[in-house]
Amino acid sequence: MIQTPDADFDVTNIIQTDECSPLTTNGADLDLMLGKDYGALKDIVINANPSLPPLSLLVLHSLLCERYKILSAVHTHSSVKSVPENLLKCFGEQTKKQPRHEYQLGFTLIWKDVPKPQMKFSIQTMCPIEGEGNIARFLFSLLGQKYNAVTSTLIDSWVDTAIFQLKEGSSKEKGAVLRSMNAALGKTPWLVGNELTVADIVAWCALQQTDSANAAPANVQKWMKSCENLAPFTSVMKLLK
Amino acid sequence: MHQQKGIWSTGGFRRIMRGPRFIKSRETKTPQLKYGVSSMIQSQEKPDRVLIRIKDLTVEKADEVVWVRGRIHTSRAKGKQCFLVLRQQQFNIQALVAVGQHASKQMVKFAANINKESIVDVEGVVRKAHQKIGGCTQQDVELHVQRIYVISLAEPRLPLQLDDAVRPEVEGEEDGRATVNQDTRLDNRVIDLRTSTSQAIFCLQSGICQLFRETLIHKGFVEIQTPKIISAASEGGANVFTVSYFKSSAYLAQSPQLYKQMCICADFEKVFCIGPVFRAEDSNTHRHLTEFVGLDIEMAFNYHYHEVVDEIADTLVQIFKGLQERFQTEIQTVNKQFPCEPFKFLEPTLRLEYREAVAMLREAGVEMGDEEDLRYLGSTKMCQSLVKVVYDTDFYILDKYPLAVRPFYTMPDPVNPKNSNSYDMFMRGEEILSGAQRIHDPQLLTERAQHHGIDLEKIKAYIDSFRFGAPPHAGGGIGLERVTMLYLGLHNVRQTSMFPRDPKRLTP
Repeated sequence: MIQTPDADFDVTNIIQTDECSPLTTNGADLDLMLGKDYGALKDIVINANPSLPPLSLLVLHSLLCERYKILSAVHTHSSVKSVPENLLKCFGEQTKKQPRHEYQLGFTLIWKDVPKPQMKFSIQTMCPIEGEGNIARFLFSLLGQKYNAVTSTLIDSWVDTAIFQLKEGSSKEKGAVLRSMNAALGKTPWLVGNELTVADIVAWCALQQTDSANAAPANVQKWMKSCENLAPFTSVMKLLK
Repeated sequence: MHQQKGIWSTGGFRRIMRGPRFIKSRETKTPQLKYGVSSMIQSQEKPDRVLIRIKDLTVEKADEVVWVRGRIHTSRAKGKQCFLVLRQQQFNIQALVAVGQHASKQMVKFAANINKESIVDVEGVVRKAHQKIGGCTQQDVELHVQRIYVISLAEPRLPLQLDDAVRPEVEGEEDGRATVNQDTRLDNRVIDLRTSTSQAIFCLQSGICQLFRETLIHKGFVEIQTPKIISAASEGGANVFTVSYFKSSAYLAQSPQLYKQMCICADFEKVFCIGPVFRAEDSNTHRHLTEFVGLDIEMAFNYHYHEVVDEIADTLVQIFKGLQERFQTEIQTVNKQFPCEPFKFLEPTLRLEYREAVAMLREAGVEMGDEEDLRYLGSTKMCQSLVKVVYDTDFYILDKYPLAVRPFYTMPDPVNPKNSNSYDMFMRGEEILSGAQRIHDPQLLTERAQHHGIDLEKIKAYIDSFRFGAPPHAGGGIGLERVTMLYLGLHNVRQTSMFPRDPKRLTP
């Protein structure tokens, strides 16, 4: 039985019988997800403050690079005096040997004096999306995995918990989250079900940016090691050193 | 009476200008006079006197006696006192002449009646001000005058009032306070340039030149000088000035293009030049001049013209950073009269492909063909607002323009023959640089010239320079006045040209 203060029903059994649909591999999906192709590179632009780097977005960037041909760029905005070297190189060495339009997607990170991370999109006119959690959900959705309603809601819920209670919450809240995580991770290898989701990514990054990483309970520690063993997490590991 | 020689002699009397405001004093005949019109400075002597800059009169100098030279900005008599504002370039200070130990009634009257803009030498005590003097740059101190002499008298009626010239233009003036229109300013440019705004604009412009030079020299470029009297029109026959040249005629250079390239073929590798450019374009717009200062760059590269684009973009970014760091006072001064958003940019510079701009515009509802020139559609401003919304930058590059809209010497794209290896750079939505990889192969150059219907005889010397081994090279040039105007968010290039030239103006 999952103990959540506001739970209306028990979803334990539903989750365990859930299966997510297999990943599809062609770029045509991007058009479906991102809108009409006007014949030019679709660029995802993220503005973030160098004093609070949004680590989960960097992990998601690595994940996206495994799946699509991505043109990555890092810029410094004139509103910021200087940015540490490791943040300027957070995408590693980029080989920009091909013309822009031969990439499937652009990922442009701008270090700027902003209160919260925000995302804008070059082709479609839309309001900027703010907040690391929201941007993380969007980026993860580009991978094309589909979940049923219950699972996706649980994932969303963990993302919010990670951002608002684990990363930004009081020490009491942090303690409570760690206990819930420990309980969930006792039943499944990942926070939601048997596969890595954006919930794990955001939660792991939030933990790195609090002091509680070392004091985490046993299942959480084990799960942290599993995350660290995955390739997309290595760029962030390097940053944290 | 014994005629006193030297700077305070009465000899200067005879050359005094007539005018109702100047008062002669009976006391000028006595030695050790504390006020008056001095004789013209003809380098008669070398007095042992240090003149302090008004900018340096601060609370730290309180109670010191100093000598200052400045202009009478305003004067106001009030009974036994006269308040003056003395101005020196961007700085001004309140000065007080009061009947008392140092000044007589006649001296106060004299001071109150000196014509505005006259240059005066003043000796006074620096005193801390009881309250901040809001109308002056030196707000914490005022000068209590002990001696005042007119060094150079101004005529009584000024063609324009400096206070009007710095007033911001406001829609729907409440009390109808005057501003000065552009033609009046330009006709009386010497006086208009004295305003704090003009002083700031041209100090900043000087900074742009200096930063351009510093950055390029640091990058290993060599500064060159190119001829301006030339035998053939470089950019096309239409917009060129002809000059008589002994028994025949010659042209004024429309750009240093030919010579920059020849320097590359002469193995100078990385060159830049700063010099006048002449365009006989009969355009009366906010951004065209017939003569302007060109800042040009040309560079040999190894394998890809992006090596050059990156260097040019970085040079401009270093200029923007330098202005941000070292010229804040000037930027704020200009903003007081002409408010605008500060200039924003990214490092490294944002570079989009031309087709992306076309896609953005189409998505926003503009109908255009793949090979149409953005500029002719008036779409550059719209493009800027789209780029600004997404990337929040006032400076960016568009790469890979269609070949059809570029000059004949532009290198075509290796993969898509409809495109070219050319680029434009934009500030606040207006184009400031047009550049490209140049064709360095004489055969291809000849073909492209023929395709454009250019008379090969006229460009024979140009094509010849590539016949004996020419490195692949690219470059571009910017206009100093236009860059200054756009950086400061001003709206007319005549504001940033000291003595502008356009189809209707040849003086001052």
